[in-house]
Amino acid sequence: MASEPHYSAISADRLKRVDLGAFEAAYDRQSGITHLLADPAPALLDILGETHIGLDAICRRLQRDYDLVGEGEADLSDIVAARLDELADLGLVERRRD
Amino acid sequence: MANPNDQGPSEAQPDGATSRMPRRAVLLGVAATSAVVSIRPALAQTAGSVLNCEIPVPERGRGMFVASDGSLVEPDTPGAFPPSPRDFTGEEVRRALNGRSLPGTTPEQSQAYLNYIRRLQAGQSGFTCYASLQMPRR
Repeated sequence: MASEPHYSAISADRLKRVDLGAFEAAYDRQSGITHLLADPAPALLDILGETHIGLDAICRRLQRDYDLVGEGEADLSDIVAARLDELADLGLVERRRD
Repeated sequence: MANPNDQGPSEAQPDGATSRMPRRAVLLGVAATSAVVSIRPALAQTAGSVLNCEIPVPERGRGMFVASDGSLVEPDTPGAFPPSPRDFTGEEVRRALNGRSLPGTTPEQSQAYLNYIRRLQAGQSGFTCYASLQMPRR
């Protein structure tokens, strides 16, 4: 089985999230950094839980729970993968490379 | 016509059926476009307090040595350096990043320590101090 990254949420007490309508502010207490999150980042944070899951499962949950605007089927994986890596690089989601 | 499954806003269709509660719309964007802007804390109103912040190498209480690439390794790993007995100030690190050695270190030790500092992650001691060195000066 090819190894692919799996993602989970970071600990719930780290982020203070505030919905500002057009985007969301997320204050990371650990670093003191405030991240301004545009779609689809807040949805990805909502989807992830304690269990690490892979890209396909995350895309399915997105499609299940949200009306996705502005993409063709072929692009969803690429877009979600890019956003997840961006969030992981910022420490906003946990990434585990198996 | 009431729908027993209604739990929120719904729309009656002309033919009498009601739709599900509408899901939130999410704009996907494109892969190449970032969705996050990060605002670092305003750590200092004056240059002085930024440069006096301190960075331990490595974080206290780990008991690990510093390899030449800055990673933490078991004590007495060949080629690795012991923890610095003293913390370095932001000013000292700034000068070292510009070519001088960290005070009290050999050139190789200074490089190892700097590589450790460059690898600091949010949550580790000294991260915020190091991050503040990289903020553009106005």
